[in-house]
Amino acid sequence: MKLALEARALGKTFRVKEKRAGVRGSLRSLFAPEWKEKTAVDRIDLSVATGETVALLGPNGAGKSTTIKMLTGILHPTAGEATVAGLTPWRERTKLAYRIGTVFGQKSQLWYHLPPVDTFELISRVYELDRRDYAKRRDRLVERFELGPYLHTPVRKLSLGERMRCEIAASFLHRPQILFLDEPTIGLDVVVKERIREIIRERNREEETTVFLTSHDAGDVEELCSRAIVIHHGGVLVDRPVALLRRELLSSKTVTVTLADSEDPATAAEWFGRRAWAPLPEGVELAAIEGKRVRLSVDLALTDMNQLLASLTQAARIADLTVEDPTLEDTIKHIYGMEKTKGGVSP
Amino acid sequence: MSGTLRFLLASWKVNLASALEYRLSFFLLAGMMFVNNTIWLFFWYLFFARFPVVSGWEIGDVMLLWAVSAGGFGWASVLFGNFPRIATIVSSGQLDVYLSQPKPVLLNMLTSRMSVTGAGDFAFGLIVFLWAGDLTPRGCLLFACALLLAGVLFIGVMAIAGSLAFWIGNAEGIASQVFGGFISLTIYPTGIFRGAAKVILFTVVPAGFIGYMPIGLMREFDPGFAAAAFCAAAIFSACGALLFRVGLARYASGNAMTMRN
Repeated sequence: MKLALEARALGKTFRVKEKRAGVRGSLRSLFAPEWKEKTAVDRIDLSVATGETVALLGPNGAGKSTTIKMLTGILHPTAGEATVAGLTPWRERTKLAYRIGTVFGQKSQLWYHLPPVDTFELISRVYELDRRDYAKRRDRLVERFELGPYLHTPVRKLSLGERMRCEIAASFLHRPQILFLDEPTIGLDVVVKERIREIIRERNREEETTVFLTSHDAGDVEELCSRAIVIHHGGVLVDRPVALLRRELLSSKTVTVTLADSEDPATAAEWFGRRAWAPLPEGVELAAIEGKRVRLSVDLALTDMNQLLASLTQAARIADLTVEDPTLEDTIKHIYGMEKTKGGVSP
Repeated sequence: MSGTLRFLLASWKVNLASALEYRLSFFLLAGMMFVNNTIWLFFWYLFFARFPVVSGWEIGDVMLLWAVSAGGFGWASVLFGNFPRIATIVSSGQLDVYLSQPKPVLLNMLTSRMSVTGAGDFAFGLIVFLWAGDLTPRGCLLFACALLLAGVLFIGVMAIAGSLAFWIGNAEGIASQVFGGFISLTIYPTGIFRGAAKVILFTVVPAGFIGYMPIGLMREFDPGFAAAAFCAAAIFSACGALLFRVGLARYASGNAMTMRN
């Protein structure tokens, strides 16, 4: 297995000045400042194979962006080593930049007052692309990303979704071996998100581009990535294939029951109060009631799904019933919960 | 090398296109800077009408001083427009985009902005030289050298002041003070400064090299002064580049939203 990137005990600490509230605190801080070491990334180990699509997940402040910035050579680590495309990012930044692409959702590389085509031209000079090859590549990406209608429109007049498509297309111009994306779909609507994921998947498939992304959006992870690394408080909490992460770590299912119109009284809340089990069977929790729809959270370790469904159908007339896996967001929340209660989760 | 040159040309083309996107604003800003400089020069004209010679300086020398200072500042601001903003860019974490590209970070960052008012300054410098300067080939060549050295000194001093942001965090205030103070010191005849002030002007704050150009380089070519000015420009720009390079290891980035314009 050829590795696209590898990190060993990679860490980053920042020195942060701590100040007490108010004017007195400011004066005290002026003459006797108190400094504190803040660990942003706590000696994490990572390895990503060529062509793999990996998500780095975690809550705000977990160290996702700091990790990506160290791997792209933007930040120098305070501990550990890393190799990206065979190079040490912070020592061989210039060489590495030719081999990787970066998309920072909050930091644009497009010129605000100019159309995307002008930025593409500049980027072709930044990466010293062959003119004919650049023209072919640009036309291909414009076609695939459907940028034609606004290629000559100033960026300031584009919607956020159109701008992000241009950002990602720009990052693909020099055929990067590895693409780093930091919150690529932040603030976008569902349709645009889906389009962007589709395009990234296509590049991964056709050019074997390794994708390493951070996101708060469970959809990005579920639809784009084969593996998820969850970090919290700067350390790796879980490193698992996305499918396994959902199946293994959460042995629960969500059962949604819609009561038939003939059920009386009309609302599920009343029905549950009058006719349903009291109390609910062990391992079943009432998650939500909306009108005639009831959502149950079922722990399969404590409850047999067949028995539960049989009891439900015997107890009431049911119009609709669905059994689903929990969303990745729920899974991550669950992992954090496990860490709090058990003091850590081993992968 | 040729790749970097092509990149610089492309960057300047993009900057110009961006600046010209709002044509009226471009001409207003550049024109207002021109008028602003003219008003200053008018005050000097009134002063010299009453005191024709001050420490050996005449109105013609002061006009050339303005031509060199404004012209040097002008070309530096047009081609390397981010040089007064280094501290802001570093402390607000706006270096990420430049760090992710395969070009020298300082050069990439400096050339990614064109100052429109700088164009007014440069035009003002040229017109004043055409009015009061020595228009022989030798005179034009010496003026071009003076402009080059002045611009490099402006960039070098601000690269040093701006790079302090890597160590002290919010260095915007200090950089702004250095910027304002340095410009002010370059538009007064160096002859009015004596003793320690003069020593400082030719060492720590090398504004004296710019201020003395009309005399030491253009009116009476002094090889010693020319060599010293060249060395000062080389040393300050090299120190600025070195300090910036060393400082990059301490760069802390940030989470502010940024756009390039």
